[in-house]
Amino acid sequence: MITGTALWYASRATGVVCLVLFSLVAILGIVVNRQGRLPGLPRFAVTGLHRNLSLLTVAFLGIHIVTAIADGYVHIPWFSTILPFTSGYERFWIGVGTVAVDLVAAVIITSLLRDKLKPAVWRALHWLSYASYPVAVVHSMGASKDLRSGWLLALTMATVFGVVTAIGYRVNDAFAAVSRPRRVPLQLAGADKTGGVR
Amino acid sequence: MTPAVRDTAPARANVGAAKLPRLLPASRQPMELEDHLKAHGKTPYRGGPRMLIHTIESADLTGRGGAAFPTHRKLTAVADQKGVPVVVGNGAEGEPASDKDKVLLWSSPHLVLDGLQLAAESVGGSQVHLYVHRHPELLRRLRSALADRATAGLDRIAVDLVTAPPRFLAGEESALASRVEGGAALPRFTPPRIYERGVHGAPTLVQNVETLAHLALISRYGPAWFRAIGTEAEPGSMLATVRLANGTGGVTETAMGTPIAELLKLTQHPAKAVLVGGYHGAWLSPEQAGQITLSNADLRPLGAAVGAGVLAALPTDRCGIVESARVVRYLALESAGQCGPCLNGLPRIAATLTQLADHRSAPSARTDLQRWSTLVDRRGACHHPDGTVRFLRSALTVFADEVALHEAGRCSAGTTEPFLPIPAAAPAYEEDWS
Repeated sequence: MITGTALWYASRATGVVCLVLFSLVAILGIVVNRQGRLPGLPRFAVTGLHRNLSLLTVAFLGIHIVTAIADGYVHIPWFSTILPFTSGYERFWIGVGTVAVDLVAAVIITSLLRDKLKPAVWRALHWLSYASYPVAVVHSMGASKDLRSGWLLALTMATVFGVVTAIGYRVNDAFAAVSRPRRVPLQLAGADKTGGVR
Repeated sequence: MTPAVRDTAPARANVGAAKLPRLLPASRQPMELEDHLKAHGKTPYRGGPRMLIHTIESADLTGRGGAAFPTHRKLTAVADQKGVPVVVGNGAEGEPASDKDKVLLWSSPHLVLDGLQLAAESVGGSQVHLYVHRHPELLRRLRSALADRATAGLDRIAVDLVTAPPRFLAGEESALASRVEGGAALPRFTPPRIYERGVHGAPTLVQNVETLAHLALISRYGPAWFRAIGTEAEPGSMLATVRLANGTGGVTETAMGTPIAELLKLTQHPAKAVLVGGYHGAWLSPEQAGQITLSNADLRPLGAAVGAGVLAALPTDRCGIVESARVVRYLALESAGQCGPCLNGLPRIAATLTQLADHRSAPSARTDLQRWSTLVDRRGACHHPDGTVRFLRSALTVFADEVALHEAGRCSAGTTEPFLPIPAAAPAYEEDWS
């Protein structure tokens, strides 16, 4: 068994990486949802980036969890990975992290099985992403004193700001979107103005 | 009141071979089940699938919804498919200038309902729908007609009434299939054709209600009776919605091949032009219309077709460009907005034609319209762009002199009062399609 502080630091570091990656995945997901583009990328590549970054996040999340449990300094039972609020150490904040893991697992597993699910089922469960993100942020801030000051606080704030901005864009864009029946009268009004010729 | 079923033979004297009307009651009083049974007897089931198809083939019955497709071929195609067919009677004419489906359903519902059962029997269908517009009185009447038939034990398969939104495209086959499934009445891409995979993927027979009524009569009185009127190539009668140049008109039953001049009384009420086949149809000059009969044999060489039997004589004091611009504008707004050519092309065509009508057009208007017509033709999931440009092109041809007048800032009309009927509301919400 690895001793010393290596596992402890690995767990904290991967936690921070997970938070940054999770934020990027959330922002990319919103871009995909609004059929947006990124400079220099075709639309399918945006979708691909969202998917692959989410799987990379899962990998880091795995390391984050395994190192936290394997570290002998604090005792976190393995079943606390799935069952929230069962850890002796930081029962509440670790429990919040477990809730985030459960929500993320639901989103990831249904996405991997997407071909076998009805689109509406997948879509409904994918909405859980919006619940899992703030839970994960609360876990990060609560369980780690590192994030409460200095440049790590700034980083956390920046990622949260990025995601909130993206959500604002999504809501705004959805309201501004023209419903199919309204598109035709709008086109006709536009053509009336320009004389049909563009 | 429950009408009793009589087992007496139908009084054939009432339906003499060459006598019209066949479909509509001569008295124009709606036929109750009792009257229907007295005149025609019980639903003449054949006892199994395909038994009726040969009779229909001998009669040469064609679809009266507009496409004039041979009915026996559709019946055969659906019966040949794997899977149990769904049968839908289509009474949802979207054409504002056509009233014949409504009038038929109101006056002779039992002929249509007989035809629906017989069509279902001949393709081995297990589900039967009747697709009609949301007219509360018509729905009430149809429900009571169905209740009477249930009491009399006439219907082997219960008929489900499905309502159509008041949209031009609601009666299009694939839109109908979507609506019967419970969704919005929006056209879908074909293939697969509706007869292969329609309602919930089942082979689906869609027949216009008038076609079904003819089918019900042919199965009783035979192909020879049906062919006793009409032409050799296009036998039988059809319902036509006529609008005379003096503003009168209505639904009338006429033999195929009747002179158009006779139907529109063109000698008494001269016309500036004649619209044949509705808003997806074509304008004809009075000279052309005066020489031909209501038949595809005469109309197809002129780029027109009988369609669903809409005939309108434009009064001489109206402007063909103004009337056509209003119709094209309506058609543009009735686009489902699903396909690029329709969504982008029709509004531009409509705007430019409107400007031509209002003397505000650019010098290139005429050539722009011709060019855009070519760009949208046959490029949609359904035939909406094709039908719209057919109408437009015929207007530009028949009203060529009027176009020149408009380009010079003038107009030959004495009045701008609208002649052709246009419904007021354009679709604005998703619900407007269901």
